[in-house]
Amino acid sequence: MSSHIEPAGHPLLAEVNPVAIPRQELVHHGRDFHWITEKVCGIVEAKTPVWWWWCFGVAAFVASFTVAGLIYLVGTGVGVWGHANPVNWAWDIVNFVFWIGIGHAGTLISAILCLLRQKWRTSINRASEAMTIFAVVCAGIFPVFHVGRVWMAWYLFPIPNANYIWQNFRSPLEWDVFAVSTYGTVSVLFWYVGLLPDLGTMRDRFTAAGNLLKARLYGFFAMGWRGSNRHWANYEMAYLILAGVATPLVLSVHTIVSFDFAVSLIPGWHTTIFPPYFVAGAIFSGFGMVMTLMLPLRAIYRLEDLITQYHIDCMCKITLATGTMVGYAYAMEFFIAWYGANPYEGFAFINRAFGHYAWAYWIMITCNVITPQFFWSRRVRENTTLVWILSIFVNVGMWFERFVIIVTSLARDFLPSSWGYYSPSIVEIFTFFGTFGVFSVLFLLFIRFVPIMPMSEVKAVIPQADPHGTGH
Amino acid sequence: MTAPAATHSPAAAPAPTAALAGKFLVAGLVGLALTAAGFFLAHDSAGVALSYLVGISYWSAVVIGMLMLVLIHHIFDAGWSVVIRRQFEHGLAAFPWLFVLFLPLLASAWLKPGLIWPWMDLSHELHGGHTVGTDPLYLKKASFLNVKMFTAMTVGFFAVWIWLSARLRKASFTQDADGDKKWTFMSRKTAAFGIPLNALALTFAAIYWMKSLEYHWFSTMYGVWFFSNCIRAALAFGVVITVWLYQRGDYKGIYNTNQFHCLTALAFAFVVFWAYITFSQYFLIWNANVPEETFWYNIRESGDWWWIGMLLLFGHFFVPFLFWLVYRNKATRAPALKISLWIAAIILVDICYNVLPALKDHHGVPQPFFSVNLLWVLTSVVGIGGICGWAYLRSFARTKLIPIRDPRIVESLTYHEATAP
Amino acid sequence: MTMKKSYGLIAAFDSTPALFRACEQVRDAGYTRWDATTPFHVHGLDAAMGMRRSKVPRFSLAGGVAGFITGMSMIWFVDAFDYPLIVGGKPYFSPMFAFPVSYELTILFTAFATIGGMFLLNKLPMHYHPLMKAPQFVRAMDDRFYVVIEAADPKFHAAQTRALLAQAGGQDIAELEE
Repeated sequence: MSSHIEPAGHPLLAEVNPVAIPRQELVHHGRDFHWITEKVCGIVEAKTPVWWWWCFGVAAFVASFTVAGLIYLVGTGVGVWGHANPVNWAWDIVNFVFWIGIGHAGTLISAILCLLRQKWRTSINRASEAMTIFAVVCAGIFPVFHVGRVWMAWYLFPIPNANYIWQNFRSPLEWDVFAVSTYGTVSVLFWYVGLLPDLGTMRDRFTAAGNLLKARLYGFFAMGWRGSNRHWANYEMAYLILAGVATPLVLSVHTIVSFDFAVSLIPGWHTTIFPPYFVAGAIFSGFGMVMTLMLPLRAIYRLEDLITQYHIDCMCKITLATGTMVGYAYAMEFFIAWYGANPYEGFAFINRAFGHYAWAYWIMITCNVITPQFFWSRRVRENTTLVWILSIFVNVGMWFERFVIIVTSLARDFLPSSWGYYSPSIVEIFTFFGTFGVFSVLFLLFIRFVPIMPMSEVKAVIPQADPHGTGH
Repeated sequence: MTAPAATHSPAAAPAPTAALAGKFLVAGLVGLALTAAGFFLAHDSAGVALSYLVGISYWSAVVIGMLMLVLIHHIFDAGWSVVIRRQFEHGLAAFPWLFVLFLPLLASAWLKPGLIWPWMDLSHELHGGHTVGTDPLYLKKASFLNVKMFTAMTVGFFAVWIWLSARLRKASFTQDADGDKKWTFMSRKTAAFGIPLNALALTFAAIYWMKSLEYHWFSTMYGVWFFSNCIRAALAFGVVITVWLYQRGDYKGIYNTNQFHCLTALAFAFVVFWAYITFSQYFLIWNANVPEETFWYNIRESGDWWWIGMLLLFGHFFVPFLFWLVYRNKATRAPALKISLWIAAIILVDICYNVLPALKDHHGVPQPFFSVNLLWVLTSVVGIGGICGWAYLRSFARTKLIPIRDPRIVESLTYHEATAP
Repeated sequence: MTMKKSYGLIAAFDSTPALFRACEQVRDAGYTRWDATTPFHVHGLDAAMGMRRSKVPRFSLAGGVAGFITGMSMIWFVDAFDYPLIVGGKPYFSPMFAFPVSYELTILFTAFATIGGMFLLNKLPMHYHPLMKAPQFVRAMDDRFYVVIEAADPKFHAAQTRALLAQAGGQDIAELEE
């Protein structure tokens, strides 16, 4: 980029002489379009690697815990879980919020970073969107199965039923039904729309290679995409609008999830800051999971030219920023619990830190407030192993945050005669850990069969794509 | 690149701003004088004082928003906003004056406690008979709500704001002269710790200055609400300043539709954000229906305050939202200016909605919005705004129009990324 | 073997700036039935082709309004009209509690309308198209750019159009079969 610009009507422009701090390049080593196509398609076209089979086997085995746990639950009854008065929501809801929260980073990367024109999103957005979809699947298991009589779960939808009764729209749980369904649907649609051009590419490559079965399969889903600019114009507009609606969607979904708690009057639950606090926390945990997934992928598939240190830096900084927002919310909650002088609210906070679940509280504080602070250091951000470990701590911390919020407030609410203690049953534990297997199975299938990066979007951000020849 | 050929006729140098600055100063002093006259002569000096608080809060919101936007610009290493950032930096020059203008309020806290903030006067009688001094809800937070803390914290807030502004301004203005990279890195560091610091400062300022007027009430969302208005105000004035500079001719060759569109798109995003925050706060209190919290909104639904609430819903959210939805309105100067002026006015209404109902009669019924206090709100806004405008213009005259040596200035001038609907 | 009807001419370009300039020239020459094929969306190409803004937003707006109205009316019907239930002392209908679901339906319907509109305007799925039969097409989805001018265009003239494309920098100019 030239350092002077032609003065075209303003004398000051002649003095413009920016100091040189070049923008980070998004793709290293000046890779061209064809290299990108080969790199990404090569992963799908290659024979399934051995490590993939091992991982898949382990993941499927772990996923079987969830299957077994759910079958046992439905066959025997909700009593096999550890819930009892007064703690009627526990691991089930914690896990639900945990997984939904993870999903939010995918939509943030796809939608919000698109609206903010952050070009670095292009190499990680498809995998993150896939992560979102699979996280929503894992999340959805819990509200569906925690109702007890699962075969009547369809009563949650406003469809006429034999009891002639309608749903209670004053309940946040009903709003959750709509929020999570919409989120799942729109995430799939957004992900699919983003896939269209790449499916076209895969179709044509399989055709050229003579693999007609795969060509027809990918071609079916490609809808006849042929790269026409007249199509691109409508496509880009649709993509932008989807990004524009997915953004308020992701904010609203976790807001509505936070409403599950905040619309009540239970101490520790009823605080007005819950909506943005939950959203920030969700993005925080989601970015943790994105890094947990992308860093190994980057190493295994040698994607360092496409997922550069700049990408990792940005992800770490967003994790740090959202972690700080969560910290702000903790501080506000604590301060206002004191300021509001409500004795129950004050007790709830003291109890969290020093009561029966204090161990959970301090794990939460360590993982959520202290861990992200490491990302201030450039040396830490450049050490991918360390970043990976920290990203796992982020998710551990966020799981414990939901646990602390839900269980401590229920275990010790207004009347001491209603107090109780909760611990999870073995069925719950296996069901939850199994969902990591479910997630992994789906994610492994994704990386095996679907191009993990949106080739067309990555190509669009390299200097070669600039129609004015000057490079972005 | 070779030296520019003198083949173009340079744009006519825009008129110096000294005269305009003078006009703002006069307007400011007149407004302040009228407000002072009202305070000393009018029957209800508490009403005048509260209206003055509205004015201070309003203009503080504008300048705090500008500070936040400059900080956010640096932390993101943004490209499009370099041009407008210089104008926000000039806006930050108002902070020391805002502190000076806050001093009468501090003085009233020491000399006539309880005039504005009831908790400052322990013998102030509350609705229901007993006094602040015997109110357990006060005593529990007496270590926070006392005049000494209030003063110290207010001084602290302004210290933080003035210090952050000074750092940012110095870095930006000095870089014009010496083109040293270190100023950019210094600004980024300032932003990294400045954003949390500013967040806490504006939160506690909102709590002390506005929320504590009705100290029985509490909301963890309040700081975020204030933040949303601060940003909206700064963006609205950003549009006003941009259009003003274009009309004067300063921005010929500098103004870029895509850059402008980024500014207005951000304003659009914050319409939604404000609505989200305000709705969340209202809805959670509505749904739980706990009298300790709902009374604050109940007061604001009595008399003409209900209509003001509706005005906020439609005028601060619906109308700007539908308006900004259309691409043409975002990308064209004239419509964008209109809606930005409207938003700037409605933010004032929002601050009034938060502050003025604290004035209650013996039955606990708030004075209506349409009362003589509006006159004092007007004089305060003109008075304080005049001084802020004067400070802005004085700073404006002292530096280059754009940060000519900023690393992203060319990106900003040639910004070509707009593809939004 | 019968002569296949000609669909039009196709020309290849190896760099984004070359394609951009060529499109401007084709646009300025007055062609209307033509297209550019790119492996990714090229910035500013829409204007270089003389295209107008996409009409997808109209679909989106219609979807959004429909979603919001559906949400609010459904909730009113269900909770205040057909089978009113007293829950927690809340009113039978209030835009407050009806808002979350209506908001979600707004987004859902907007998403469907947007995608549906995009497919409709693009006339997709269209699994068959003369362009896709061309052997060079596999590179269109990879790293090369093409301009296709249809024979059905009123200004189309085999020799002149070919000359225009060649002069604009097109490589491997060939005829496309129908």
